[in-house]
Amino acid sequence: MNTTLVKSGEYSVIIVEGRVDTTNAGEFEKAVMDVVESGTDKIILDCTGLNYISSSGLRIFLIVHKRMLAKKGCLKLCSLQPGIKEIFDISGFSTIFSIFPDQQTAESD
Amino acid sequence: MIQTVDLCKSFGNLVIFKNINITVQKGECVAVIGPSGTGKSVLFRTIAMLEKPDSGQVFINGTDITRKDININKVREKLGMVYQGFHLFSHLNVIDNITLAPIKVSIMKKQEAQKKAMELLSMVGLTEKASAFPHQLSGGQQQRVAIARSLAMDPDIILFDEPTSALDPSMTGEVLAIIRKLARSGLTMMISTHEMSFAQDVANRVLYIDEKGVYEQGTAHEIFQNPQREKTRMFIRKLKVFSYSITSRGFDMVAMNVQIELFCQKYNIDSRKINHIQLVLEELILEVSGEAEGKQQLKIDFTIEHSEEKGEILITFCYEGEFQNPFEHEEEGDNLGMVLITGVAKNFSHKYEDGRNTININI
Ligand SMILES: Nc1ncnc2c1ncn2[C@@H]1O[C@H](COP(=O)(O)OP(=O)(O)OP(=O)(O)O)[C@@H](O)[C@H]1O
Ligand SMILES: [Mg+2]
Repeated sequence: MNTTLVKSGEYSVIIVEGRVDTTNAGEFEKAVMDVVESGTDKIILDCTGLNYISSSGLRIFLIVHKRMLAKKGCLKLCSLQPGIKEIFDISGFSTIFSIFPDQQTAESD
Repeated sequence: MIQTVDLCKSFGNLVIFKNINITVQKGECVAVIGPSGTGKSVLFRTIAMLEKPDSGQVFINGTDITRKDININKVREKLGMVYQGFHLFSHLNVIDNITLAPIKVSIMKKQEAQKKAMELLSMVGLTEKASAFPHQLSGGQQQRVAIARSLAMDPDIILFDEPTSALDPSMTGEVLAIIRKLARSGLTMMISTHEMSFAQDVANRVLYIDEKGVYEQGTAHEIFQNPQREKTRMFIRKLKVFSYSITSRGFDMVAMNVQIELFCQKYNIDSRKINHIQLVLEELILEVSGEAEGKQQLKIDFTIEHSEEKGEILITFCYEGEFQNPFEHEEEGDNLGMVLITGVAKNFSHKYEDGRNTININI
């Protein structure tokens, strides 16, 4: 798992790569929450490079989602690989999150 | 052509094999499989007369090479051998490793030998490494050089003794690709290997070695899909099944996942399915270890089996302790893990017997 933060217009884009599972969910949570708590209220999680996620990873997505809601911020996901989209569908997470095909669409929505 | 007649070999009192009678026709590729220590390497070495048989004969292209008046070096020019451990000359660069033998036995002038060596290097995709030394090459590259070297003498036959088992799994593919190419070119080959899908791909015939001889033989399909005898069945089943045990909460899940991935790659299982397998296991492990927290020692065993006929993965997941059926929804918790498991599985079931929970899942 690896995260990189880039600024794009008014958005903070967090690029998530690799696997998010039980072994690194804590690390992932910290990396994302650091950005959330840094004051940005518009965040995009770019999942182009995310190739595995388990329930431990999904729960972090949910924590971030709730925190952003509480802050009245805006959280978007983009570029989910088909296998990841499948997991979001199975878990019902697809209906919770705003998911976009790519970063550009996410920003302009 | 290779033929052995009642070939026997022992070391002191230790009988390695008795009365081996095999024939490998010109242009045929025969895979030799069997448990470790059953004498596959000794058989290959005996065929090459690197070991002296106790009795019996070895015919190479019709000539009995066990005869005393045979010039074995002459025979070996037509009989190449590639070993598990590459065996390159470390003080010679790649091109000199390849040209050494042809120049030494003066079947070729230096220039001609070098030209031929460059052709061979191009065949194994290593022209750029001609002047590199073995220690500057990866294992896969060294083995490709070793193959090029064995081809320098223009052999009719090559014996490959576990050519990929000393390699990092990421490098076996490049070596197998070259051997596959050679098999198609009509070279006569024997190859001992544990790479089942490879043997299935290239071998005209598979010999299963056990109980000091050829225990069973047949086409790759017959041996791998439908073995007839007890020991062959057990051996093939073990090859097809991945097993893993977990006895502590601090087990290394990253290492486990790497092993699962390697196992799946052997069967060309796509990455989506590999993810599903890993997901099911991760969620089951979390479910079971969370539940048993502090109560008792963790004891989980699971196997992954690939059924080629059905194109399915069968996971058998066992854990000791009290009755615990994770498919029965509990009030507490979000149940997310089980939602994912039942979402990706085709079938699932749980049973409890003699203090042991068993979950079967098909993917
Ligand atoms: N030079 C030797 N002297 C004595 N015993 C030997 C010698 N070489 C091999 N052996 C024994 O012969 C038996 C067969 O060994 P061999 O290396 O042929 O097994 P193998 O089938 O190739 O196993 P693996 O799959 O592990 O390569 C072993 O018990 C080994 O210890
Ligand atoms: Mg051996």
